[in-house]
Amino acid sequence: MKDRKIYRDLALVTAVFALALAIMLGVSWLQSRRSTPLQSQVLETLKELHESHPENEELASQIRQLDLLSRKAYFTEKSQLKSGVWILCGMAAILAFCLRMYYKDSRTLPGKELPAGDEWQDKTLSRRYLQWGLATGLGVLLLIILSNALQPARFFRQHEAEPLPDVDNYAVLDEETQATEPTQTITEEPEQQAVRPMQSVEAEPQQPVPSAQAAETTPQQPAQNAQASEASRPQQAVQGRPASEEARPSKELPQVATEPSVPLPVVKSRAFRGNYSSGRSSAKGIPTSWDLSSSRNVLWQTAIPRHGYNSPIVSGRKVFVTGADERARELYCFDLFSGELLWTATADNIPGSPGQMPEVNEDTGLAASTAVTNDKQVCAIFATGDLLCTDMEGRRLWARNLGTPDNHYGFASSLQMYGNLLIIQYDNNDKAELLALNVENGAEVWRRNRKDKIAWSSPVIAQVGDKPLIIVMGNPAITAYQPRDGQEVWRVDCMSGEVGASPCYANGIVYGASEYAKAVAINAEDGSVLWEADDCLPECSSPVATKECLYVATSYGAVCAYSAENGKVLRQHELETPFYSSPVIADGKVYLFSNSGKCYIFSADIRFELLNSFDTGEQTFATPAFTDSMMVVRTDKSLYVVRKKE
Amino acid sequence: MKRLASISVLLMLKARAFAVARFPKPDFHSGYQYPDIVHTVPNETFWSWMDLGILTLMLLAAVWAVHRAKSRRIILGISLVSVLYFGFYRSGCVCSLGSIQNVALAIADPGYHLPLVVLLLFLLPLAFALFAGRVFCAGVCPIGALQELVNVRNFRISRPVTVALGVIPWIYLAFAILYAATRSQFIICRFDPFIGIFRMGGDIGMIVFGVLLLLLAVFVGRPFCQFLCPYGALLGLFSRFSARKVEITSPECINCSLCHHACPVDAIRPPSRSSREEAAGKGIKRVLLYLCVLPLLTVGGALLLDSQHDSLSLANKQVRLLHLLQTQEETATLQMAPEVEAFHEMGGDVQVLEEQVGHIRQQFHLWSLLAGGLIGFSVGCRLLRLSVKRTRKTYEIDPVACVACGKCWSYCPQNKSR
Repeated sequence: MKDRKIYRDLALVTAVFALALAIMLGVSWLQSRRSTPLQSQVLETLKELHESHPENEELASQIRQLDLLSRKAYFTEKSQLKSGVWILCGMAAILAFCLRMYYKDSRTLPGKELPAGDEWQDKTLSRRYLQWGLATGLGVLLLIILSNALQPARFFRQHEAEPLPDVDNYAVLDEETQATEPTQTITEEPEQQAVRPMQSVEAEPQQPVPSAQAAETTPQQPAQNAQASEASRPQQAVQGRPASEEARPSKELPQVATEPSVPLPVVKSRAFRGNYSSGRSSAKGIPTSWDLSSSRNVLWQTAIPRHGYNSPIVSGRKVFVTGADERARELYCFDLFSGELLWTATADNIPGSPGQMPEVNEDTGLAASTAVTNDKQVCAIFATGDLLCTDMEGRRLWARNLGTPDNHYGFASSLQMYGNLLIIQYDNNDKAELLALNVENGAEVWRRNRKDKIAWSSPVIAQVGDKPLIIVMGNPAITAYQPRDGQEVWRVDCMSGEVGASPCYANGIVYGASEYAKAVAINAEDGSVLWEADDCLPECSSPVATKECLYVATSYGAVCAYSAENGKVLRQHELETPFYSSPVIADGKVYLFSNSGKCYIFSADIRFELLNSFDTGEQTFATPAFTDSMMVVRTDKSLYVVRKKE
Repeated sequence: MKRLASISVLLMLKARAFAVARFPKPDFHSGYQYPDIVHTVPNETFWSWMDLGILTLMLLAAVWAVHRAKSRRIILGISLVSVLYFGFYRSGCVCSLGSIQNVALAIADPGYHLPLVVLLLFLLPLAFALFAGRVFCAGVCPIGALQELVNVRNFRISRPVTVALGVIPWIYLAFAILYAATRSQFIICRFDPFIGIFRMGGDIGMIVFGVLLLLLAVFVGRPFCQFLCPYGALLGLFSRFSARKVEITSPECINCSLCHHACPVDAIRPPSRSSREEAAGKGIKRVLLYLCVLPLLTVGGALLLDSQHDSLSLANKQVRLLHLLQTQEETATLQMAPEVEAFHEMGGDVQVLEEQVGHIRQQFHLWSLLAGGLIGFSVGCRLLRLSVKRTRKTYEIDPVACVACGKCWSYCPQNKSR
């Protein structure tokens, strides 16, 4: 009897301890699953510090020790957890033994009567439980099926989203996006109502201005177009006020009707020179001629409140451009179909923003950088270093000043986005950097010091196989970085002088070209140089490439097609007009604007034939953006949309 | 055998792979040379045949203990040997339970070589069940044996609940076959709660689950065998038709009900005493109704599970990889999954992957039909069985549920007086 009591007490104590230990182990296990010991703030900070002082051995040693400690702590914890589990096992064994001993001699003897349980009643109840279970299971399964059916996201699509477009799969890409993306419609405005509120601009004489630049320019030209800029700028826009009446030059434009009937465009142009700055668009049905004066194939034209050399971007029915002067820096959203200014977001009240505008070259201005969007947020940067990010309705999400750029021409690099990263090539005279910010809140994700001199180039994203790379062109290197952490993948020293053009990517090859250096083709996988050439080099205009050719437009009037294979010039056109705007490939053609506003259309193949050329009548430095059957063009004074009219 | 062992080892080491992914190689180059990854050496042929030999001997011993000696002590002895040898010494692998998956894979994929030892490991217990009941469960299976050894007291769970939960092993079996046949996962091995205990290591979550099951087994007879074991479901089916069923006592039953109270798995059916009278013909109508429902449940189950074959196929690593690749491409997220990163680093071809995934999806299409049909059929059969009234004059063992643990013999006064 005494022994039984001992076993009972022992079992009780063991059970209590085992339960407590099990709870502790469970909590500890859950914690350890979430633990990411190497992502400590201290370690990250020290690593960043080390990057700027790589020679500091003491710092390196500190990081090593901390890294080792973190690893040790984690694995010690795991080891303790495992020991705890075995102690629990031991306790369970003791508990089982004690209970067995306790109950050894006490077998339950039933009463003489049979148990009251009725087998048939049990069976009936069992059937009912099974049927309930079955009904519940069916219900859950049907709910899952229903929710799967309602969700647009499916498993194993071929190509639903708009990936990096490639000239070789234009047709497929376009058809598929048309077929898969949800269609939203708006009423098409009547053709006769497509008014052009730019009569005053049109009336102005065209000045033979050889200056100013597109978004990526290296401004060196005399400020000959300053007057034109000033003249074209409407007197409007009270700072901080959203889309005031006076800030709407196209007020008389017809309002977008609420009755939907026209499909929303699915082809987007989210950044400078299209998505990921590829210079290629899957848009089709783009007119090959139009006339601003007669509105032939011109949907609308409107003035932009403030001046800027940046290029338009398009997401859905929204067109974004920026403008800035001494009084305000603004991001504008226009309606793609009507040209109505939907909203204006002003980059004001930003801590650290300079009271006085930095000195910039007239050809660069305060808004040379093109905005970027991911269809959820849109971000813009100005020469003051003010960075503004809003939602698609113009509500400010965050804004910050990156520090007034020390840039003798003015900051001109366009923004880039990859996933939730906003990528900025932030070059100053004393330091060149590549930054990645969280687009949702502006927090810095990573920052890389580049061993380059100042450049006015813009970063592009290259999808090498399925591996994304950020390609940055500077002086003297073209460098590839991993978007995830900004780690350098490869670096090729091949540039020199002032680098204004941006790189481009196609078919596994990164291309870079600058007037003061050379054209170079680099294997995107390993950074090996495939070929170099110096026949035809751009100053501000960025090249564009296909599988077969690299197309380059220069500031001295030559436009060339290089062989992508060996860098030999396949075809050269001497057009004798400078190009700052970049060529873009759409619908199997290369669209290119000269500074004077002449549009050249070439075949996007090895023949590189000039298909058409005509004068638009307005100086054009920005690069056009393409969407379904439409092209959005920013001239020096206005914004207009080209679309074939039935 | 090598392949089998490799697959098992890879599945068991999956948790470790996550831990590795959490720790990138140090940023600093210290000259340390990382050792090559070495996989666990597969079981050697000798040991495989040794396992099979011992299994056969133990099965024979169990048959003798169950049908001739009717000795629980011998059964416990066999249990102890099984736990020590198959469990701790041989680390619980390869076992008959897991061999279901190898057989399913061999049926689905003629290119898969099913080792003879594994086939015999699968067939032997079933063959014994067909002749002598679930003697494998008695004490030869280390999982059942471990639970048996820790069992002290039995708190009876309501029978209707036990019966309803009895469908779970069939669902588990259906999914085990589905995932094995499609070369996706060996879920029986992956979610074996006792393997971590036998190997003294592994996924801590599964070890904790195993320990909790063992603690439960102290008070409830063999919870894993009753409510989870897919091989038990098969053995139950075979033992229903066994030539020699397990008996409580050879002499005449005196209806003392001691065995009924002693049985840890509630496998002893008392003399039937239905208090409810039923109109003539009602029972026949009910049976006919369930007979009609049976094919409906089978087809319905097949179609329903087939409708989810896309989602189910995500358990396959190739399919998951493609899904991850596409999601990453679509959302352009930066947090690249380790699988995606590895795929890129290995220079994987998306097109090839897409082709492979297309083939796998076809397999899922077929096997989810079959698995859904199996689930529906098993539920239908259970309902049908539950709709039949039985008349019983003495206490009888339900051969499907009985695990031949022998506890009833030690309580039976007739047995003792023998």
